[in-house]
Amino acid sequence: MEQKFIKPPVEVRYREELEALKANDTGNRPENWQMSPRAVRTFILGSSKPLVCGGKEYIIEKKYFGNDALVERCIVTLAGNRGLMLVGEPGTAKTMLSELLSAAVSGVSTNTIQGTAGTTEDMIKYSWNYALLLAKGPSREALVPSPLYVGMEKGILTRFEEITRTPAEIQDSLISVLSDKVLNVPELGDEGFLFARPGFNVIGTANTRDKGVNEMSSALKRRFNFETVMPVREASMEKRIIVNEVNRLAEESHISVQADEDVAEILASTYHELREGVSSHGHRIDKPSSVMSTAEAVSVYYQAMITGYYYGDGTLSMDSLVQTLVGAVSKENKDDLEKVRGYFNTVIRDKSSKEGGLWKEYYEARKWLK
Amino acid sequence: MERILRSQKMAEIVLLPVRHHSPACAYHVKRMIDRLRPGVILVEGPDNADPLIPVMVHEDTKAPFAIYYSYHDQAGLISQEKEHYKCYYPFLDYSPELAAFRAGKELGIETAFIDLSYGDILAASREGRGLLRAEEEKSNYNDDYLLSRNEYLRQLCEKTGLRSFDEFWEKYFELNGIEEESECWFGNLLTYCALARENTPPELMEEDGCLARERHMARRIREYAERPETADGIVAAVTGGFHTPGLKALLEEMPENGTGAEKVPEKDQGVYLMPYSMEAADALNGYASGMPFPGFYQRIWQGLQETETPYADGVLDMIVTAGKETRRKEGYLSTYDEICACAMAEGLAQLRGKRQPGAYELLDAVLASFVKGEYNIATDAPMRFLRKAMTGNEVGALCRQADVPPIIHDFQEQCRRFGIKTGSTLEAEATLSIFANPRHRFYSMFLNRMNYLKTAFARKIKGPNLQLKRDRNLMREIWKYKWSVQVNSALIEVSVYGATVEEAAVSLVKEALKKEIGARESALLLTEVFEMGLTEQLQPVYDRVHELMLGDTDFYSLAEAVKSLLMMEELAGLYDSRMAFGELIHIGCRKLISLLPAMAKIKDEDLNACMNALKLLYQVTGREGEDFAREREDYYDVLEKMTLDTEIHPGLNGCIHGILYGSGREDAGETEAVCRGYLEGTREQLFSTARFFRGLFFTARDLVFIGEQFIRMLDDFFGQVGQEEFMELLPELRMAFTYFTPREIDKIAGAAAGLHGKSGRDILQRKEIYPDWYAYGKELDAYVRGKMQRKG
Repeated sequence: MEQKFIKPPVEVRYREELEALKANDTGNRPENWQMSPRAVRTFILGSSKPLVCGGKEYIIEKKYFGNDALVERCIVTLAGNRGLMLVGEPGTAKTMLSELLSAAVSGVSTNTIQGTAGTTEDMIKYSWNYALLLAKGPSREALVPSPLYVGMEKGILTRFEEITRTPAEIQDSLISVLSDKVLNVPELGDEGFLFARPGFNVIGTANTRDKGVNEMSSALKRRFNFETVMPVREASMEKRIIVNEVNRLAEESHISVQADEDVAEILASTYHELREGVSSHGHRIDKPSSVMSTAEAVSVYYQAMITGYYYGDGTLSMDSLVQTLVGAVSKENKDDLEKVRGYFNTVIRDKSSKEGGLWKEYYEARKWLK
Repeated sequence: MERILRSQKMAEIVLLPVRHHSPACAYHVKRMIDRLRPGVILVEGPDNADPLIPVMVHEDTKAPFAIYYSYHDQAGLISQEKEHYKCYYPFLDYSPELAAFRAGKELGIETAFIDLSYGDILAASREGRGLLRAEEEKSNYNDDYLLSRNEYLRQLCEKTGLRSFDEFWEKYFELNGIEEESECWFGNLLTYCALARENTPPELMEEDGCLARERHMARRIREYAERPETADGIVAAVTGGFHTPGLKALLEEMPENGTGAEKVPEKDQGVYLMPYSMEAADALNGYASGMPFPGFYQRIWQGLQETETPYADGVLDMIVTAGKETRRKEGYLSTYDEICACAMAEGLAQLRGKRQPGAYELLDAVLASFVKGEYNIATDAPMRFLRKAMTGNEVGALCRQADVPPIIHDFQEQCRRFGIKTGSTLEAEATLSIFANPRHRFYSMFLNRMNYLKTAFARKIKGPNLQLKRDRNLMREIWKYKWSVQVNSALIEVSVYGATVEEAAVSLVKEALKKEIGARESALLLTEVFEMGLTEQLQPVYDRVHELMLGDTDFYSLAEAVKSLLMMEELAGLYDSRMAFGELIHIGCRKLISLLPAMAKIKDEDLNACMNALKLLYQVTGREGEDFAREREDYYDVLEKMTLDTEIHPGLNGCIHGILYGSGREDAGETEAVCRGYLEGTREQLFSTARFFRGLFFTARDLVFIGEQFIRMLDDFFGQVGQEEFMELLPELRMAFTYFTPREIDKIAGAAAGLHGKSGRDILQRKEIYPDWYAYGKELDAYVRGKMQRKG
């Protein structure tokens, strides 16, 4: 695949897999869906049976790790009458899941409203091309549709990222659209009713713990089914995610280095233990206040890796890993660094004396924790 | 299903594999028995429970109930310890075994249990395996662990994308199972069981006692098949599916007349029926070997007889129940939410390839549709309500013919003796003058014993509490008691420990003595034995306390023990005990003094306990006579040494100086000097003064009232700390002043005010109120209230 973007959309990256799934899909499709719910499940959760399409065999890889039942609930929600709201701590792959779902269901993951504190109602509903508005008066031509408008018109999914960052009154403009499935454009007169086509639905993602988020109104909450995405609870799965994601990032940036399993394990266990507040040996650990997400661990690993690639001898050194870790944890609170130092001086020290090798190097790199 | 065909000597044998607790399985067992019309139905279960079968199938007996097996290893067949063992065999309406018995009764077919007796199973199991596993509080006879926990199953779940064995079972055997033909269903189950068995190492089966049981069951089946009266009929054997392949092999190969494995005497075993509850049957309530969601499956079992779609109906029912509860208690949730939940359950069933939505779709549907916002403790109410509904709240009942163990007869006898009514379930009260009236003392002993057996029959509302060392001056006890079915169940549970309430209490005390406990716990046990009036047990417990006090090195535990002993020594006359506690107190005291030097640097949270211990030692060593003369000297020497430690906890330091002052080893001036040391020390030490005062006032508050030095120091101290710091120290200071009586505090305040040229009265600074002002205010108040009332 020719790479021309930093991060191509999901439907481009997995075009072949999606085609293979569609070609082999025998299940019932809800109207306007690209494939059956069961095929959507296979696309996200993978399948060990290879699919044949155009004379080529495709193994559908597992793209979302964690709770399979949650993915199934999401798919069923999207086929129903309510929106889907993914909530949870930062870095738990909510956005990735919503992209995968839209790419599989509607074939496009880019029909997205990006919520910020400055989002206004016309960004959610529609606005006008003023030149055309002046020239032709209010008409469909002069109207600039929002992703929500497009979703209703075409019968595809609309993603609403970071919905809780937009002010509560702006969020509420979704309420009537979600319940009545109609958008009224009074400027267009009698023709101003946009009735949603089948296949339209909204996937929202929201942070609940971050600073600068707004509470959702109960009326809006009622129109969504909520799914709480939890951080990965197993260190081994976290390691697998780190390796997969780092390798993918490296491939996309044309860096010919592979993630090291042992290093990924050390990093995964560090993140896991700091998040859970207890080590695998049962030590109690002070939890840092900043978010210790898997996504964060991936970026720490990747950054340390490219540091080695461009400035070092091409390999990842424990020194640069710890240096990047410092940057990642000491974002919000100075005490966090102290907590990580405490973690190194107890848990990592014990592990380094027991396991030796990389753990020892890791422990020695604690000098950068300042 | 396995058939072993008729031979010259034997009737045809049909082996029906089952999983304990499964609606589909119970359904097929009933159908199969209807069709086969066997001459006898044999069921897996200890065969000494045979006499209970008529009670189990009696129309007045309602599930859930359990067979309670007990075994007292008097012969030492299991271990040298000669312990007590017990286990439960719960039955629900949808247990295939119960369905088999009920079908037998309906069709007039003979039924019997065929497994080894409980004691024999234990004797055949290796230590820590099978029914001897120690991890569970309640041992369960029909544990499916061999079917539900193995590597083969783990891979199977991963491959089918299912969460657990229970979900796997529900999908393939329950949901699909009810529409299958019985032969086919039993065939599938047998395949699964055979694979599970292949993946279980034979050594493990031997260690679990599984093979010994199978040999016994095969022998019993053969006995029945060879009887002339069943020779031309069919013998049906309903056993756990895991055993079926083993039984078949044994029945086909086994030489006739194998030797029996029974060696456990009948008299050491007990077997009784007891009412059980859905809650206790639910695996998710911590009883690892139960089955999840008994209430839900009970609903399915009822639905099976009535409709084509029991699962869809059951799921709808549960959604509505949880919805109603959420609406009532949480105040949100609309009918539309319930509609969405139903749609979700249906959709998930389709997506997951299930014919109807089951328990897992139900859970997912309620989670997705009812929980608003992030899922956490604040929002999980709907899930809690659903779980509760899925567990169910039914409690079983036994018919009147059910036999009860001797302990219940004894309980009833005792109740008659004391005039306690057990017919009513209303709470009654009894006031007992335990020290004046010997009969009341016996009454109290009985209630205390019942409490010790954890029967929840009675609770003491008022009276001396020897465990908490409270209300020791009370002369009367007030008890509330209430009889319920649970009391009987609880008594059945402890029936293995003895034939009377007293015997059971004695055995449990003996058991408690074997446990690893500290001096504190053993002394508490002594108080309990004391209250229960188990005079013969006092000596062994006393000896154990002695032993533990010598071994215990925990300062606080020893101090608590000494305190309990002191209290019992005081009360010995009242409770009519002739134990000599003096020696134990002596030992405890010596040990405490030897441990004391290490206590100088205690943590803040231990201060109270430590101060109490010091005070206790002061009291004990201060006793008259020569008994404690040596300890007294040692005690003060240690205290003096401790004060030389510069890192000593300030509170403790204060406490010690108070004691030294009280004993006359130090005069007020010395104590004052130490106090001043803190006051004039560095900033941090200054703040320690509050804790120092707390310790000092705990033991020697009279210091404050000799001369005005201390009050002046307190005044200086307050002068030196700023307002914010004062707020921080306030809790500590409050604690320090709690040791004074209100009058004393008043006196201190007066003296402190004097230092600033005011009198004690001035601090209060309240203006006097003239009587006519007060009268006017009252009048005004009444007038306004009247006006307002008239206006409504």
